[in-house]
This record gives sequence, C-alpha cells and structure tokens, in this order.
Amino acid sequence: MAQFLLQTVWLIPCYAIVGAIVSVLWSPALIRRTGPRPAGYVNLFMAFLAFGHSLAAFPIAWQHPAQQISVSWLQVAGLDLTLPIEISTVTVGATLVVTGLNLLAQIYAIGYLEMDWGWSRFFAFLAIFEAGMCSLVFCDSLFFSYIILEVLTLGTYLMVGTWFNQSLVVTGARDAFLTKRVGDLFLLMGVLAIYPLAGTWDFSELAQWAQNATVDPAIREALPPGIATLVGLALIAGPMGKCAQFPLHLWLDEAMEGPVPSTILRNSVVVATGAWVLIKLQPVLALSPVVLAVMITIGALTAVGGTLIAIAQIDVKRSLSYSVSAYMGLIFIAVGTGQTEAALLLILSHALAQALLVMSTGSIVLNSITQDLTQLGGLWSRRPISGLCYLVGVAGLIGLPPFGGFWALLKLADGLWATQPWLVAILLLVNGLTGFSMIREFGLIFAGSPQPMTQRSPENFWLITLPMMVLMGLTLHLPLILQSLSLLPSWAMLNKDMAMLLLWSSLIGSGMGAVVYVGQSIPKPIQLPWQRLQRFFAYDLYTPQLYRSSIVFCVDWASRLIDWFDRQIIDGAVNLVGLVSLFSGEALKYGNSGQGQFYMLTIVVGLAAIALSMSWSLILH
Amino acid sequence: MLSTLIWFPVLGAIAIAVLPLRQLKLAALTISGIALLWTLWIAHQFNFTNPLLQFQEYLPWLETLGLNYQLGVDGLSLPLLMLNSLLTWIALYSSEEEIERPRLFYSLILLVSGAVAGAFLAQNLLLFFLCYEVELVPFYLLISIWGGEKRDYAAMKFLLYTALSGALILVAFLGLVWLQGADSFAYDALMGQSLPLWVQTVLLSLVLVGFGIKIPLVPLHTWLPDTYVAASTPVAILLGGVLAKLGAYGIFRFGLGLFPEAWATLAPGLATWATVSVLYGAMVAIAQKDIKRMVAYSSIGHMGYILLGGAALTALSLVGAVTQMVAHGLILAILFHLVGVIEAKVGTRDLDVLNGLMNPIRGLPMVSALLILGGMASAGIPGLVGFVSEFLVFQGSYSVFPLQTLLCVVGTGLTAVYFVILLNRTCFGKLDNAIAYFPKLEWRERVPALILALTILFLGIQPTWLVRWTESTTTAIVATVPPLTQPTIASVNRPVNSPQTVGWVVPDNSIK
Repeated sequence: MAQFLLQTVWLIPCYAIVGAIVSVLWSPALIRRTGPRPAGYVNLFMAFLAFGHSLAAFPIAWQHPAQQISVSWLQVAGLDLTLPIEISTVTVGATLVVTGLNLLAQIYAIGYLEMDWGWSRFFAFLAIFEAGMCSLVFCDSLFFSYIILEVLTLGTYLMVGTWFNQSLVVTGARDAFLTKRVGDLFLLMGVLAIYPLAGTWDFSELAQWAQNATVDPAIREALPPGIATLVGLALIAGPMGKCAQFPLHLWLDEAMEGPVPSTILRNSVVVATGAWVLIKLQPVLALSPVVLAVMITIGALTAVGGTLIAIAQIDVKRSLSYSVSAYMGLIFIAVGTGQTEAALLLILSHALAQALLVMSTGSIVLNSITQDLTQLGGLWSRRPISGLCYLVGVAGLIGLPPFGGFWALLKLADGLWATQPWLVAILLLVNGLTGFSMIREFGLIFAGSPQPMTQRSPENFWLITLPMMVLMGLTLHLPLILQSLSLLPSWAMLNKDMAMLLLWSSLIGSGMGAVVYVGQSIPKPIQLPWQRLQRFFAYDLYTPQLYRSSIVFCVDWASRLIDWFDRQIIDGAVNLVGLVSLFSGEALKYGNSGQGQFYMLTIVVGLAAIALSMSWSLILH
Repeated sequence: MLSTLIWFPVLGAIAIAVLPLRQLKLAALTISGIALLWTLWIAHQFNFTNPLLQFQEYLPWLETLGLNYQLGVDGLSLPLLMLNSLLTWIALYSSEEEIERPRLFYSLILLVSGAVAGAFLAQNLLLFFLCYEVELVPFYLLISIWGGEKRDYAAMKFLLYTALSGALILVAFLGLVWLQGADSFAYDALMGQSLPLWVQTVLLSLVLVGFGIKIPLVPLHTWLPDTYVAASTPVAILLGGVLAKLGAYGIFRFGLGLFPEAWATLAPGLATWATVSVLYGAMVAIAQKDIKRMVAYSSIGHMGYILLGGAALTALSLVGAVTQMVAHGLILAILFHLVGVIEAKVGTRDLDVLNGLMNPIRGLPMVSALLILGGMASAGIPGLVGFVSEFLVFQGSYSVFPLQTLLCVVGTGLTAVYFVILLNRTCFGKLDNAIAYFPKLEWRERVPALILALTILFLGIQPTWLVRWTESTTTAIVATVPPLTQPTIASVNRPVNSPQTVGWVVPDNSIK
C-alpha cells in the first residue's frame, strides 16, 4: 500500500486536470440550471484528493530513496522525448506545499467569489495551475519544464483576465502574457541550444554533463565560453520572467488586477516555478561565471529595487507583489552563489508567509471594498484575526527568530558570508526594508483612526477566515516542521553573529516602520522632501513608460512601416504590372484599324525583319 | 484503392450537379464523409515503417507524351491527404444552409477536393500538373461567385498568380525531361537525374518560385490576403488549409525530391528566405485592423517554418516541416471558421469595433474560448499541435542554421503579440449592450470548430499520431541528399538511437 501510494504520486496532477475538465460542463453554454457553483465544489474535492494523496505519500517518500519513472511521449527521427518523473522527498514535499496551499486557496475562493459568475472558468484555471506546478515539480526534464512553464504562461493570461471586461484587467493580462512569453522564448532558445551540446534534457544528466564539462577537456573544447554564457543567459531568462525579476517584473504588479484567491497561489508558489527550474539548472549555469554574475546582479537589483518600490505603493496588493519580486531576487542570489538548499528553504518559508499575507489583506479588501492604502486604517479593533494573521505573515517572512523566514535567511547569509560577503549587506538591507514595508502596510491598514471606507468592516465568514487561520497555524509551526525534518542547524552550528545581525536588521526595519506608520505622531501621507525620488519608486521606476517608448514603440512602427511597404510597394508593383498589361492591351487594340494597306504594311515590315535577321550572318561576312 | 479518393468526389460532384437531389448539403457531406472514411482506411492500412510509395496504381494513358496514370502514397502525402479529406468535410459542414446556387457550390468543392487529392497522389509530373491546374478554375469560381467584398479583383488576382505559378512549374518539368532526355514524366524515373548542378539550380529555382507563389513566400504573397479575405469561410478554409499545403508539398516532392544536390546548395538561401517570410508575415499581421486579414498574414508567417525545416534538411526538421503543414492546416481552418462565425454574428471584422465577445450571456463565449485555443495553438503554446511541429522544426534546424532558427523563434513571439491583440480586442473587454443582439449559434457553426479544436488538442498531447506517418519517408529523403552543410555548432554525444535509415530506393512500377 505504501509503495503503491508513492508509485502513484503522478496521479496528483491528474486529479486537478480531471477537475478542470469536469468544470467545462458548467461553462455558460452547457449546464445552466444549477448555476456555476458545482464546478467549484468538484474542483475543491479534487484539490482535497490531491492534498490527501501527497500528505499520505510524504512520510513514505521520506523513508525511501528517490525513484525515477519514465513515460515515453514522443520518439521521432532520433529525438527521444521521454518524460522522467522523479519521486523523492523534495518533490513530494514540494507537491505537498502546492496542493496544501491550493486547497486553502480554493476554500478561500469559494468564500471570496460568492457573488461571481465565472466559477467554472476560475476554478478550472486554479486546477490547471495546481496540475502544472505539481507536474513541474515531478518532471526531471528541462524540455518538459519548458512546456509546463509555457502552459502556465497561458494560464496566467487567462487567470489574470478572469474579470475581462475591465480595461486594466485586459492590459494586465496582455502584459503578463507577453512579458512571460519573452522570457519563455529565450528559455526555448536555451532548450534548443543545449541539446546539441549535452545530448540530453534530463536535469540529472545535465548536471552530470556540466560536471564532466569542467574536467573533461574534450567536452570543454566543444563548449567555448561564449556559447556556455549565451546558453546560460537564455536559460535564466525564462525564470527571470516567471520570478518577475528586473526588467521583466512588470507583469506581477499588473497581475494584481486578477481575483485575490488566484493571487494567493501566484504570489506564493507560481512565481517560485521559475526559481525551481533555476535551482535544477544550477550546475549548468555554473559553467559560466558571467551567467552567475548576471544572476547575482539581477537578483540584487531586484531585491533592493523591489522593496523600495513596494514601500512607495499605495495599493495593498501591489505593495505585496513587489516584495515577492524582491524575495525572488534573493533566490536568484542564492542560486547564483550555489546555495540551492538555502534557496529551497527560502521558497518554502516565503510561500507560506506570502500566502498568509495575501489571504489576510484579501479578507480586508473584500469587505472594505477598496485596496487603496490611503483609504484604509483603524481596523485593528474591528479585524483582530486578520491583523494577527498579517503580523504572523510578516514574522514568517522576515528574519525574525524563531519563525521560518529567519532560518532560511540565516542559511543564505551564512553561505554568502563564506563566498561573497558584500551580498550579506544586501540581504540585511532587503530584510530590513521588507520589515519596514510590511509594517508600513500594517500601520496603514490597522493602525490609526477608522476612515470612511473602514467604518463597517467585520471579520469575514468562515470560508475566508478559516483557511486564513489554518495557514497562520502552519506558518507558526513551520520551525517545528523544519526541525522534525532536521533542516534546522543545531545550537552549536548556529552562526550567532549572523543571527544577531539578521535579527537587528529586522528589528530596526520593522521598528522604524512602526514608529513612522503605527505611531500617529507623523502626519500621513508621508511626503519625502525629494518628490522626484518618491515618484520614481511609486511609478515603478517608470518601467511601463520605458517599455512603451522603446520596445512597444519600435514594434508598432516597424509593423506599420512593413505593412505600408507591403501595400504600396509590393502590392503596388503587382498592380502596376496588371495596369500596364491592361493599358498596353487597350492601346494595341487601336492597331486593328480595318485598313488593308496598313495590314499589308505590317506584313511587309515583318517579312523584311525576318529576312534581315536570317541573312544577318551573310551580311556580316 | 487510391483512385477512389480522386474519382469518388469527382463523380459525386457530377451527381450533385446533374441528379435531381433535394438535400444537396447532406449529399455532399455524405460523399465527402465517405471519402474521409476511405482516407482513414488507407491510413489504417498504411505501413508507416516503409518509406516508399505504397498502394501504387499504374495505367498507361498517353505513352507518347510520357503521361501515364500513376498514383502512389507515402509518408509525405498521406498526412496531407487526411488533411484534405477532413477539411473538405469541415468546409462543407460549415457552409450556409441557404447558400446561393447550391448545386454549383457543392459540386465545385467536391471537384476541388478530388483534384487536390489527385495532385497529392500523382506520381507523374504531367499528371500532377494536370491536377494542379484543374483545381484552379473551381477555386476561381468559388471566390468570384460566393466571395465577399472585392471578390472579382481577388479572384482575378488569384487566377493570374496561380496560372503563372503553373506555367513556371510546367517549364521546369518540361526542361527537366528534355534536358535529361527521358521518355516519360514518371516521377521515379526522373528522380535519379544526372544534370549538371547549374542546370539543376536553374530548374529548382523555377520550381521554387512556382510553388513559392502557391505557399506563398514573401514577396510572392500579395494575392493571399486579398483572396483569403474575399473568399467565403468554407472556401477560405480550403484555400488556407489545403491549397497552400499543395505548394509546400510541391516544393518538397518536386524541388527537394528531384534536385537534391541543387537543394543542398541553395539551402542557406532558402533558410534565410524562410526567416524573412516568418518575420515579415508576423510584422505585417501586427499592423492589421481586420481580423480575417490578420489571420491571413499569420499564414504567411507560419508557412515560413515549413521552408525552414525543409532547408535544414535533417530528419527531424523535415518531419517537423510535414507536421507543420498538417498543424497549420488545422489551426488556420479553425481560425478562419471562427472569424467567419464572428463576422456572421457581429457583422464586422474590425478590431476597433469588436469587443467583449467572451460575455457569457449576450456574447459568444464558446466561439471566444475556441478562438483563444486556436490563437494560442498558432502562437505555439505547448499542449496544442502547433507547438509540436514548430519545436521539431526548430530543434532539427538549429544545428544547421542556428541564427535563422533563433530568428524564427522570435517570429513565434511576434505571433503571440498579434494574437494577444486579436484576443484582447475581440474576446476581452466590455461588450456593448446596445449592439449585443447576436443570432444564436447554429450547429454548423459549432461542430466544425469543436472537431478541429479536439483534433488540435489531441495531436498536441499525443504527437506520435502526427509524426509516425511521415518519419520513415522523410528520413529516407534526407539520406539521399549529399551532406553539404556542416553543423556550425559542434555536437557531443548526440543520441544515436535514430531509426534505421533506409535508402531512397527506386520502386518498381508494378500494378497493385
């Protein structure tokens, strides 16, 4: 039975797919009588099955060594596309996180979308995301990971576009799709390019190949550093899009136009899909120092820039989304410095904490009917549960012992100290700024006096509050779970100086946030003396304008120009040929005058010409 | 066995034209349905490990001319035959119930179907040419009688272009036979021709330009947007889905098959030409305001991938090219069908007017959903058939033409751009309640789209069903070509478990 449960973990994505397919029955054209709600219940049941299965399989996977299953997909002309499925503690554990969060998000969604009509669509997309992420976790192949990432790109487009009749939603969905697609296509180029080099797409074999490439001169020779760098850069572009790193970060912010229940998954685990692929690719990327340097630079820029932008936002969800970019930036740093374990731990702690933050703010947004931070305030007495959940989320996110984020950041800082100490400074800065940004949001929502929009704001009903509280419990228990999995360092191994530094950075950051935003002595909204700087961050470093005036502008004009060329020059030439032949035919028609002499003359001239040409050689001699 | 595919629709066409039938559409559907089943039966009987011609038929006809009735099917033509039969049925099913002059319409479509099948099956150059020209006149009539705006202009343009294409091809065929001194136009006899390389190159160029008009390749394409836009939906489905494939098929069968050395010499130029077509088609599509025109230009871009796969001439890229023909045929058919439905219901194809069709109550939710599926399949999203074929082309071509391949990948990105524009404007957004009184969807509008969507999805998830017909034939074709182009990227431990390559043996003309 135990083996059976473990061997059939590949069913976990299938449950969700079944749910998504069944939901089609409740799409508008088919079953109308019941309304769309049954689609939600079916998917909830399937999510529960998936969660139960992974929960049951996890302890078994813990006791067994990693296993591989292969499923043949396509064999053509020497190309063998077999889907390798890896069943190990890490993969089953990751599935457990995904299915667990998805289950909570679906319960939350049933409460949150009480009044919505697009249930079958929405829940089908949630299920597709669950299936995609679970299969991404299990599949041990770059090619199939690419396929899944692309499908999730389409999923993001449709998911963000759930409320498609609002104009911001439409542009948000478009930007999400195109930005991620740009990353995906670079990833596809990397996928195409690496196969002739390595002869495989399996992550484990790629790692082996990369290891050989560093020692084996034959492989080394076939792989000039330029090519290794280009391939590596193409491969990180996909994760950059998924993880919303600079300069492809725009979409995550705009994706916040989608419904909150989908944001729970997006901010916590969907963005982590890119990080997951990045971790799997780490040995290949490590072949080129340039690629590692680029990863670290992008990660550091996004981490610092993202938190600064987050502090300048006045939208509840957008502020959170930039923090997500920032944390994914930390993961880029972690992978760039070769610390995959720290990266995995950070993904886990970030996923739980971020999901909790989104749930808690979402529950505020739902019945305050605004997500504008300047219109919220004074909710602590009215919404104590949401407030507590928010605080627990913050504690789980930043480096505050003994919660989850602390251990992940500590592990990362430890490793960085040994290799690139200057990155520790970045880490501490980002941690402190995140603390500031989170407490700022807390202060603006919960502290102060009630605003018109928050006068009537009771706690929501159980469908929303219960999953939120369950997740709060999980976030609080994360250190215990980590300890039972012996993922925490022992007291003797603990780098106490680093721990103190991390703690101080969190305390200073959150403390300053509390002084400024929870305390009421400073009038709000806060205006920095340098208006331009504040706007610079508030408007997301003017990235949308930058894109509009560069890439979008170029493509738009180039397409118009080529279209003009097509209409006027090419088609014009064709039509000119047609016209010329028509006119010459018309003109020649007047040659038929009906006069016998004229015909005779033509014949004579023709005959003379023929005779002349026949005797040309004679004349010449 | 194969003759049935040609003569059954033709006889059916005559029957519909002459017999006093009542249910004309039903009769036409039955005839093309039987032809479809017959094609599937042939596919079932087809031995896909054999790279050679199968089910050959031979009847002496005009032996002094070298024109004999020679038919055969192999992995290159079988998928296209299936596509032809399926899309003919779909086109008939999706045509209006109350169409004008139904007798002529249904007969012409069946006639086209038979002629196209003949062109795919013909193993004699003149016979091919005959079928290739026979299909022309019915299409001219179909466009000029049942077309939309500017149909006379479009039909005439189509006729002239295609006639020119036929003339060039005929010149190339005649030149080949006379220079070679062969006594017949039989394909297999001409395959091992021994002309000097420069003569081959000249003849191949004629073939390329001739079929390049039909595909079409930039800059020979300007008939396409006008014709596709002017044609009614069923005719557009056949034009884009089947007829364009005839050009690509011709390039492979009579360009690559007859002049392999010259092909290998021209390959880098062809790859670049393909890339230009891909990028050009995509860029022009972005600028379009008319959704049907946009889809038409998307077709130019997508046919470029086929040429790229052919130019790279690896076993993988050639399989990819053939599957891309099928994939593109299916995708273009669903897109034209849905665009036609939208035009019929909403009354416009203008991107600036269309909006919010995904509205579940008053919009066209099902059409929108399927349009998203079709657009995404065209943009190469995995899980749908477009991805499989494009990926095979890219992976096969990358080792030979890395730069061109990467630029074609950029082309798929541009495809995503214009389809997002199309979907965002038509499906997303707010439906204007004042104009949202759309007629109800009919079955003839739902069923074809559903069948195509399911096929696109199924072949995307199970691509084995798509590639297995073709693989051994294309591998054999590649084996005949002298290796001229060296891979520019060194390859280490490339898997060697490729299927056994079989020599491109000349089959005997035994009657089966």
